[in-house]
Amino acid sequence: MSTAMSTMMSTAMSEPLVDMRDVTVRFGGARPVHAVNGIDLRLNAGETLSILGESGSGKSVTLKTLLRILPEQRTAIGGTIRIAGVDVTALSGRALADHRGGVVSMIFQDPMLALDPVYTIGEQIAETVVRHEGVSRAEGMARALEMLTRVRIPSPERRLKSYPHEMSGGMRQRAMIALALVCRPKLLLADEPTTALDATVQIQILLLLRELQREFGMGMIFVTHDIGVAVEISDRVAVMYAGQFVETGAVRDIIRDPKHPYTRGLLAANLHGAHKGARLDAIPGAPPALDALPDGCPFAPRCPIAEAQCSEGLPPARVFGPQRQVRCLKA
Amino acid sequence: MSAAQGMSAAPGGSLAAGPLLSVHGLTKHFPIRSGLLGRGSVVVRAVDGISFDVTEGETLGIVGESGCGKSTTARLLVDLITPDSGEIRLANRRLGADMTVRDLRRDVQMVFQDSYASLNPRLTMEDAIAFGPMINGMAERQATNLAHDLLSRVGLEPRRFAGRYPHELSGGQRQRVNIARALAFSPKVVILDEAVSALDKSVEAQVLNLLSDLKSELGLTYIFISHDLNVVRYMSDRVMVMYLGEVAEIGPVDSLYSNPAHPYTRALLAAMPSMDPDRRTEEAPLSGDPPNPINPPSGCRFHTRCAHAAPVCSSAIPNLSRLRAERHLAGCHMLVPGSGHPEAAAEARP
Repeated sequence: MSTAMSTMMSTAMSEPLVDMRDVTVRFGGARPVHAVNGIDLRLNAGETLSILGESGSGKSVTLKTLLRILPEQRTAIGGTIRIAGVDVTALSGRALADHRGGVVSMIFQDPMLALDPVYTIGEQIAETVVRHEGVSRAEGMARALEMLTRVRIPSPERRLKSYPHEMSGGMRQRAMIALALVCRPKLLLADEPTTALDATVQIQILLLLRELQREFGMGMIFVTHDIGVAVEISDRVAVMYAGQFVETGAVRDIIRDPKHPYTRGLLAANLHGAHKGARLDAIPGAPPALDALPDGCPFAPRCPIAEAQCSEGLPPARVFGPQRQVRCLKA
Repeated sequence: MSAAQGMSAAPGGSLAAGPLLSVHGLTKHFPIRSGLLGRGSVVVRAVDGISFDVTEGETLGIVGESGCGKSTTARLLVDLITPDSGEIRLANRRLGADMTVRDLRRDVQMVFQDSYASLNPRLTMEDAIAFGPMINGMAERQATNLAHDLLSRVGLEPRRFAGRYPHELSGGQRQRVNIARALAFSPKVVILDEAVSALDKSVEAQVLNLLSDLKSELGLTYIFISHDLNVVRYMSDRVMVMYLGEVAEIGPVDSLYSNPAHPYTRALLAAMPSMDPDRRTEEAPLSGDPPNPINPPSGCRFHTRCAHAAPVCSSAIPNLSRLRAERHLAGCHMLVPGSGHPEAAAEARP
């Protein structure tokens, strides 16, 4: 066991924590959906990447692919995905169960759906520890208490015995973070965890996540539609559109010098410093349906600077600097 | 055209004398059953004695955390909820005296956040828009023509969209239909209660442009409720900040955003993401969730979360006091000389 662990550790050292290459996700059925269309992503331990995009762009599907919680029967995953040196697409049975919640953990937008309404917060967190680490229930409860204290829930002893509905929105979100992190995962996936919260509570949760991530040294992939949130939480940003990363780069570069017209449109729509009364540079139209693979740039129909060549083939990822890639012929 | 719109505060016509919409002492408490036999006397103080005016042609933004009473205020204004007390006046007519609820609702229309829940799933778009006018006596033919006009006005081609059902439209398209339906009575005031909050950012920008166009073309007055302070700043002429059922601060948008007077307004603005990777927020301006409106704190309701709280804050209720900028008011003891707050000026000026 320990030798296996140490070999795993040493492999993990030499390669990034997350390594996705040309990953595609397609949902079968009467109307097939090409949700993710060839994304490449590398994330190191201790690093935070935001995936920025609108509804239907494939952000959440990307996270669920990493956690392997998409329905097996109807999902076809292509490409390679390695997390901490392990081929995630090949996992099954016990190894898959250990992967979920042990190596990779996820927090969601609605904690009311993620938490079980008929168990107390303490029972739910303890169950996770008992399952993954084989400790006693009492030990699990002790760990749950420690974790609730860690995420700064007021009077944690009392809250161990609370049911989810007895807590406020911000507190439930903290409880879900405690549940996700109690087994010290290497990778935390966050699917819009602050979207439903008031701005005053959102900033508290973002600061908490930043602090826990630093302390535990875990990697984090944070999905959001809000550029401001991405700036607060992440080192790098990947802008997603129609199942592709149209632009990736350090958050600083993306904010100051967006190269893809879609990124520019998103930044304008954020209204940060927008002039009152001035007309907004709104992106016209709506994102494409994903029932067929795009054969040209998927953004071309809405793009203000598109030319004929844009619809002729998929724009390749062009490299601008060490971490900067843009899928646009005109960038 | 729309660039000058923010400046055009001078209302034309006969109403120039007073505000178009005027609210005084509006209050709504919701009783909750508690205790044995449900005879407890617990009340949620959703809206607690708020007063404000809206001038013709302006946009009043309303902001605040969840549970502060923004949406209850909106519903009270169109009598979807009947107020416990208080007065609503529209163009100098008082609701309940010389104006009926029916009159009020013709002139004050509302658009809600959930575009799908706001539409009858069994009505086509033209029927949904024509329904109200027909109930009010318009002939079917005429109402359908009106519906088609309104659809094209909100950017939906009638030939393609008139016969569709709500589930056949995207969220942005449905919200356009809801806006068209609100316009069917040629209202004076349109209340937009988080009307763009559920939309994707790129679609939101399109709908905001549409709202600005409609406002200048039709001379509308908006009450714009949102939790997004960037959007409120962009849309509003004046902004009202609510906290636990009360008005904390109200004032012209530039004055309020650049010189927020109430500590709560300052905290709300500080809680916005910084948009600068080199100057990230390092400390949350407020801790914890907003308190429960069932038992709001005594005195100033914000004192339990306020960094400047002093003994006077828990004992005395602050009144809205005038600030230097015109029409800018805030309810905080620190702004009142002689209030007893250590950070206020010592003596009231003679």
